[in-house]
Formats: sequence, C-alpha cells, structure tokens
Amino acid sequence: MDPTTASSYAASTAARALQARRRGRAGRDAVSGYLLISPAMVLLIVFVLLPALWIFWLSFQRWDLISGTSDYIGTANYERLLLRDDVFRKAVLQTVYFVVVTVPVSMGLGLFAAVLLNRSMPFRDLLRTLIFTPYVMPIVSTALIFSFIYHPDVGVLNAALNAVGVPKIDWLDSPRFVMPAIILYSVWQHTGYNAVIFLAGLANLPPELDEAARVDGARTWSRFWRLTWPLLSPTTYFVLLINLIGSFKVVQPILIFAGGVGGATSGGGGPDKAAETIGYYLYVQAFSFFHAGYAAAISVVLFLIILAITGLQMGVFSRRVFYR
Amino acid sequence: MRLGSSVSARLRVRILELVPRYAILVLLAALFVFPFYWMLVISLGTLQSVFVFPPILYPLWHWENFAVAVGLQADPQTGQFLQIPWPRYFLNTVIVAGGTTALVLVTSVLAGYAFASMPFPGKGVVFLVVLAVYMVPAEVTLVPNFIILANLHWIDSFQAQIVPFGASVFGIFLMRQFFLGLPNDLWEAAQLDGTGHLRFLWSIAAPLARAPMITIALFHFVAGWNAFLWPLIVTNSDAYRPVQVGLQNFSYADATNPVLHAAGSLMVTLPILIIFLLAQRQIVGGIAASGIRG
Repeated sequence: MDPTTASSYAASTAARALQARRRGRAGRDAVSGYLLISPAMVLLIVFVLLPALWIFWLSFQRWDLISGTSDYIGTANYERLLLRDDVFRKAVLQTVYFVVVTVPVSMGLGLFAAVLLNRSMPFRDLLRTLIFTPYVMPIVSTALIFSFIYHPDVGVLNAALNAVGVPKIDWLDSPRFVMPAIILYSVWQHTGYNAVIFLAGLANLPPELDEAARVDGARTWSRFWRLTWPLLSPTTYFVLLINLIGSFKVVQPILIFAGGVGGATSGGGGPDKAAETIGYYLYVQAFSFFHAGYAAAISVVLFLIILAITGLQMGVFSRRVFYR
Repeated sequence: MRLGSSVSARLRVRILELVPRYAILVLLAALFVFPFYWMLVISLGTLQSVFVFPPILYPLWHWENFAVAVGLQADPQTGQFLQIPWPRYFLNTVIVAGGTTALVLVTSVLAGYAFASMPFPGKGVVFLVVLAVYMVPAEVTLVPNFIILANLHWIDSFQAQIVPFGASVFGIFLMRQFFLGLPNDLWEAAQLDGTGHLRFLWSIAAPLARAPMITIALFHFVAGWNAFLWPLIVTNSDAYRPVQVGLQNFSYADATNPVLHAAGSLMVTLPILIIFLLAQRQIVGGIAASGIRG
C-alpha cells in the first residue's frame, strides 16, 4: 500500500464512521429538533393560534366574562352587530375615517423625510433618530402630553393657531375635532417608522440609474416620479400593508384620549362616539360590559378585515410590483 | 487655477443644495421632538404658570415637582403627600419587561436553531404555522386570551403579563437567519469531536449570536416597558400593575394637576428614552432590516 492509498483509505473509513454516526443520530436529531421548537411552538399555539380560531366559536355564544356562563345562540351576535348596532356602525365609519387620513399622511411624511435623508450628510443619523423617537416612547406618557397640547384654553396648539387667526378649538371635547386630534397624534407616532423603512428601501435602489438620469439632465421631481417611485414600489406596498393593519386595529390612543369622554356607562368613545373605532368597541364590549361572545363577533369582523387587506395586498403585490 | 474654481463652484452647488434640505429636516425634527420638550416644560412649571395663555414656552425649573410626584414632599395645593407606589410600579415593569425578554430569548434561540440546522419531519408545516401566527394581531385574541388566563387563575399576576408574550415570531426569524448564515465548517468540526446539537448550540453557536440576541432583547424590553392595553386588562392590584397602568390611574384619579402628570410622564419615559438613545443603532437598524411594527 502506498502512502496515498493508505491516507485515502483512512479518510474513507473516517467518513464511513461519521456517516454511521450520523445515521444513528438522525432519529435522535428529530427528537431534539421537536424538543427545541416546542417551548416557542407551545406558546404560539396556546396564546395566538388557538385563540384566533376560538373567536369564531365564541362568536356564536352568549358568554358572560364575569360569571363565565355561556349559551349557544347561533348567529344572534352577528345579526345584532351587523343589522341593529348603531354604535358599531359608527365605529366602522370612524375607523375608516381614521385609516383613510392617518395612513396616507404618515406614509407621505415618512417618504418625504426619507428622501431628504437619503444622502450622506452631517447629522443625518441624529435627524433620523429624532424623527423616529416618538415611535418607541410609551404611549401613556406621550398621549398625556398631547392632551395638554390640545387643552382648549391654555394648550400650545390653540396658542399657535390663535397666532395665525384661527379661533379656539375644543380638540378632545368636540365631535368634529376629537378624531383629527387622535389622527395627528398617530401621525406623529408613526411617521418615523415609515421614514426608517422607506430609507432602507431607498438604500437598496441601484445608484447607477439615478446617476444616468442625472447625466440625462432629468429634473429632481421627474427623476423621483419616473425612477425612484416605481422602483420603490415593493417597499411602498410593504409600508402600506403594515400601516393599514396597524391603523384598522387601533385601540390604545382611543382608550387614552377618549376612553373617559362620552359617558363611562355608555363605554366612552369620545363626544357623540366620534372617536369610536372597531378595536376600541371590541375592548369596551369585552372588558367594560363583559359581553365576551359579542366581543368575539367583533374580533371576527376585525380579523376578516385584516385578512382581506393582507390577501388583497398579496394579490396586488405579486402582479403589479416592480421587481429588480 | 481653473480646477480650483470648478471645485469651489461644485462646493457652492452642494451647499446650496444642502441648506434647504437641512432647513426642512430640522423643522421636521423639531416638530417631532417638541412634545418631549413640552413634557419637560410642564413638569418644571407651577400650577399657575401652566394655566397662563399664551403659554410660557421655556422651563421654570421647579425641580421640587418631582419630589411632590413621588411623595417625598407635600403637594403645595393640597398640603398632602401623594401616595403613589412608584417604586413598586417600576419594579413590576422591570420584572415583566425583563422576564418577557429572557423568555423570548430562550424560545427564539432554541426554535431558531432547530429551524435552521436540525432535520425533523414536518419542519415545513411547522414553519408555516409560525408564518400564520404572524398574521394574527393581538387585538383580535384579547378575549380568548383573557378567558384562558382566567381559567389558569393567572389574572393579576406577573406570569399573565409575561408568558403569553414569551414566544416571538420576529425573534425566531432573526435567530433562524443568523444560524443559517453560520459556516458549515464549524458544525462539521464539532461533529468530528463527537459534539451533539445541544452542546454545539450552547458552547459555540449561541455565543456567536450576540448581535441578533441583543436586537431581540432590545425590542422586547422596549415593548414590555411600553405595554399598556394587556396589563390594563389582566392586572387589578398595585402588586402587579406596571408603571404605564400606574401612570394612567394617576392621571385619571386627579385630572386637575397637569404639572404632576407631566412629571410622572417624564419619569416613565426617561428610562426608555435613555435605552433608545444608547441603542438607537441596533433598534433603528433592526426595524429597517425586519420591518417589525408593534
């Protein structure tokens, strides 16, 4: 045996031994694979997946959250919710109002900030961080500060508007302005998030294309609309999806700004229920009135809306989006 | 000579281009930061100064407001000491945010590693379940989750605020991505030494995964600190109430004293603001890379 065969023989023996060990280990690997995923999977299944399926069954019950008693009542919850519940109708309308204004404004502002920030310049990171900060701060404290800013008599917003001749506005106590006030707060909260995602999308665009257009002498605006905007569409659709879902399920700002207004016994929701949203109504039905079955029916409606948005977006996304 | 003048001309164009850009950005940033400045102004004012119109736009430096808010000094309006258990609230928040973060790290590292590196039957299906879970917003599952916790007798406890948030799809994804990127040579070498998956994960793979683990920890600590709706529902005593719910109760109980509310808001915001400013690179970078939105 010459040395090369000897070493290749040794190598193949080692490889065979390794293979055998691997085969013996495959079974053990599968078991430990299940073992390793099980803590995460048990939690996700118990606290997310099963509850998401359970709301469908719950929505056919009359279920009292305090006593825990339940009766099967068929589609009675849905009949009441969709045909006879004026508060729910108002909640759907006001949710749409909230979404239709908040999403485009905070996306537009976010994109505007991202385009301005999308070049190397001093203090770029600092400016980005400052615009982003509201997104990570606790909502109870920031909403509390906004309620001082909105104070009708001594609030700084009315003072600023007064300086340009706008008469006093009763922000949180008037049916007309409570929603705009909450929208303004939400835009302030989420613009930085949108800017950061748009900025990441812009950083992924091919720089050569922009250079070429610059050489062609295309003006900044037409460069943006002809090149950047279509190339950015995957990011834009992603941001749109996240914003639509986040806005349709809005609860917390409503609870803080309007939870105590409009009569605690009737569940709050602002003057004339002008700040009532689907998510907030779900919260009130479940945890102020303890109607768990009825709240489950509202959850189902909210869930279906969110699934529909996701499905629609996926459809549009796969057909219309520009891919590189 | 000509070269020099063209360089300075280009510089002038660059400056002309940058000035309006800065002007707009600084204005925008000022608008976004203003509410935090206003929190400071109100918290350092007096009950008289904050009810002046037009408002006083600079802080009056009444630091004693904080002593009043935490109950070390009598409230000058009422002559009484405020009895708000702030230390208890802060401790509860640290326990909940820290406990959630630790649990998420463990479950994400284990599951992420298994999804990336271990063969087991049905892996594709299980991963689809994880993806499906990502589509379910927490608002939709409020009611069934409350019923589950009530049946476990977990209402008004720490575990009610920790365990339901102990697994994170974002965390699993991030860890899986990281472990997929580890060079295979490491695992081959470990196998030659007879090392199994668990030992390899514990002594080699996990210690290398510090960067994604820090990102996950930051996200979940911030989310845990800011949690409001769920703790509002599942706690009903000061023994378990986090600081957000405590602040909300404080502002509801006495709606007449914005100065003290602002002081409370500032105390609740400051720790998270400091963490954010220290770790903004990881937090903003993590959001840009993953698109997660709370």
